[in-house]
Amino acid sequence: MEDQITRLTSRLVVPFIQVYGIYIILHGHLSPGGGFSGGAIFGASLVLMALAFNLSAGVKQISHQSASLMESGGALGYALVGLIALLWGGNYLANRAASFPLGRAGELFSGGAIPVITVFVGMKVASTMVTLFYNLIEGEAKVGDPEKPGA
Amino acid sequence: MPNQVLMIVILAAVLLLAAARFFPRLQLRTVLTLALLAVIGYFLLITVAEMPLFGKAVNPAHNEISLRYLEQGVAETGVINTVSGIITDYRAFDTLGEATVLFVAIAAVIATLKSH
Repeated sequence: MEDQITRLTSRLVVPFIQVYGIYIILHGHLSPGGGFSGGAIFGASLVLMALAFNLSAGVKQISHQSASLMESGGALGYALVGLIALLWGGNYLANRAASFPLGRAGELFSGGAIPVITVFVGMKVASTMVTLFYNLIEGEAKVGDPEKPGA
Repeated sequence: MPNQVLMIVILAAVLLLAAARFFPRLQLRTVLTLALLAVIGYFLLITVAEMPLFGKAVNPAHNEISLRYLEQGVAETGVINTVSGIITDYRAFDTLGEATVLFVAIAAVIATLKSH
């Protein structure tokens, strides 16, 4: 798409969307939202980048390698938080029972393992959205223009 | 209950015979499939009829668990967003499964699309 208005608008809007997504992830334990919704918002900003410019500009934002690293790292980190709880004497994925420091309810650093898990889930969801989009688009690009005969 | 089952069987047999009589080109397999589907559908409808009504106070969903979440949630999880407390503390293992579903889905997409 070669639209100046779309490009300028998305270039202006994308930073705000990303900050908003990070805010939703980090405040998942304080306000409505959480890892899934915040990650979806963050991933949508990267998808918007790739839509408004082109695929290579989108890939420049986050490469395939870092996307898959985020994907695996999110899942692995989530499972490891559960294992840490096991190590500290609770059940798997226990929070208070595993003596995670809960802090004062309502502050940014509170809730023990919950913000950590939320951040990992957010990472994972964002990279899932981006990876899904890039892979579908690349499959399309490789097959070629279906309108063109013999392509 | 046995009467109903007997009735269903008789009905199915009658339908089978009628179908064989009026549609001679119909295959037995098709008719049997339809009869089986009818039986399955009958039992599904019975299940739906037995389900609790929406919003009734005596429903099994209205038990002490939601009360516990609302009253003890902040003290037990340390977060003021109770939804977040439920999905990442009380039911963290369920959320891990959810994340695994996402992981498997994206792995399947990559495996399918990258191989072409």
